Amino acid sequence: MLKHVKHYISVGAYSLRMSFARQLEYPSFLICWVIGNPLNYMMGVWMIGVITQRFQALNGWTYPQIAFLYGISLLSHSLSVLLFIQTWGIERMVIRGSFDRFLVRPVGVFFQFCIDYINLIGFTDMIPGVIIFVYGSSVVNFEWTFFNTIKILLVLVGATLIRGATYTILGSVAFWTKSSRSLISMVHALFERTTYYPLSIYPTVIQVIFTFLLPFGFISFYPACEFLGQDSGFDFPLEFALWTPVVGVILEIIAVSIFNRGLKKYESAGS
Amino acid sequence: MVMIDVQNLRKDFIVSKKKKGLRGAFVDLIKPEKEIFHAVDDISFQLEKGEIVGYLGPNGAGKSTTVKIMCGILQPTSGSVMINGLSPAANRKEVVSKLGVVFGQRTQLFWDLRLGESFELLKRIYRIDDNLYQTNLKLMDDVLQINEIIDKPVRQLSLGQRMRGDLVASMLHSPEILFLDEPTIGLDVEAKYSIRKFIKEINQNFGTTVILTTHDLDDVEQLCSRIIIINHGKIIEDGPLEMLIDRIAPYRYLIVDFYKLPEEINHPEIEVMKKENTRVWLRFEKNKTSAAKLISDLSLRYQIRDLSVEETKIEDVVRQVYKS
Repeated sequence: MLKHVKHYISVGAYSLRMSFARQLEYPSFLICWVIGNPLNYMMGVWMIGVITQRFQALNGWTYPQIAFLYGISLLSHSLSVLLFIQTWGIERMVIRGSFDRFLVRPVGVFFQFCIDYINLIGFTDMIPGVIIFVYGSSVVNFEWTFFNTIKILLVLVGATLIRGATYTILGSVAFWTKSSRSLISMVHALFERTTYYPLSIYPTVIQVIFTFLLPFGFISFYPACEFLGQDSGFDFPLEFALWTPVVGVILEIIAVSIFNRGLKKYESAGS
Repeated sequence: MVMIDVQNLRKDFIVSKKKKGLRGAFVDLIKPEKEIFHAVDDISFQLEKGEIVGYLGPNGAGKSTTVKIMCGILQPTSGSVMINGLSPAANRKEVVSKLGVVFGQRTQLFWDLRLGESFELLKRIYRIDDNLYQTNLKLMDDVLQINEIIDKPVRQLSLGQRMRGDLVASMLHSPEILFLDEPTIGLDVEAKYSIRKFIKEINQNFGTTVILTTHDLDDVEQLCSRIIIINHGKIIEDGPLEMLIDRIAPYRYLIVDFYKLPEEINHPEIEVMKKENTRVWLRFEKNKTSAAKLISDLSLRYQIRDLSVEETKIEDVVRQVYKS
């Protein structure tokens, strides 16, 4: 087991190095993202600020509280972009037969596939994520105790897995239908609507859907409710800081098994 | 020792037939017409350790599909493949750690990085220890001069250099079986030569079993002790190359330049194939008579300026097999 883990770590670490080296070959491309991405998210959170300050708090959520929620969401988004961006392009890989290379090597295919391109652009999302989260957490007087820090980290891991697993499941549809790109674009929009704003502003039916069917509420809304003492609308046993990683891990296990089942349907491409 | 055992292998693909026009598109949407295409249709063969086998067939015959099933990329519809006693479908990681695979049309190297980086990653993937890694790189350098290009970015390599890189990448972990899918496609004479030499050497030195699919029959002639020909998903020939030639085209050609073209060349063992000015192509069966005898017969009767003997072109043999 330990040998196994060491093997994966050595492959992962070297792939990471290669990913960085590959992307640094094209600096102008990176610079565009370094400027564009933070700008985009800072403007997004600014908009919410304008709305809440000009009109009224959103369903009992003040602007700093929303910034706190937005920060958690954006940080998990940036981590998922860093680690799971490959799953957005399963469609292209299926059509071009690009999984061949991974299938002939003695390491897990899903692992090789994700690690093959660690996306530096994730860091450009992380910059505004950190800024907004630090701002939000300081204005709402979030207490950085040892347990709270651990909880935040667990939530971020879980939220990243929920996002990554969702991309993986939807992307894997391409193994059967040869097309999944549009599903990925759709879920990007859904993530934005459900994780940057309190879920409680929506009707109950929407809240139910995004709790039990598509558990996006666990990405930022439920954990934020707990940390901020807001009403979540649902009563769950245990704390949300625990639910988010549990949901994340379960979803990831489901996602990988769907991916692996899809691989059996994989038809490569003519050559 | 049987290295690869393929039994009653089948692979079906479902192909949807498209109808014409907008109306057709609607009909396809509601009631799609699907057809089953048998890419590989009941194939069985066994390969011994250390064989170099040429796997031939026209485009779309099912060559690549078979190779992809053997190395675990595709799942067979039915039948079985055993690599050294293990099924690649059930024990993928264990099986592929003993395989080297090169797809000539596609590279497994990292486009933007120096060639050596790709090797370093493979070293970690296959858990190759430092000693073996250095020994293998040294060996590859002797035949393929890999050190000349190891520090260049892959995107700057010529096609031939890149193929050398891909071959090295596939052999770093000393696999027992090497699958080569069109390794010489698009390469110049010099590159082809060094790649053939490489295949021969690893086969002799390590006893590597090699499965080679190619359209270049010179590859086959120079490397393969056995050929398997497949068409429409079925094996149509399997055996040593010489046997195939002897059976299908047991001929040789005598090309004779006369001073003056004779009206007719009558000889019971000769068939006139072609005439061009004063040059005539004569075909004879090589187990019935010899070139020496024919030459002496002809020179008694005609004034011969020059002559040469030509073997059957393997191309013609293969073309004949494909057609049948």
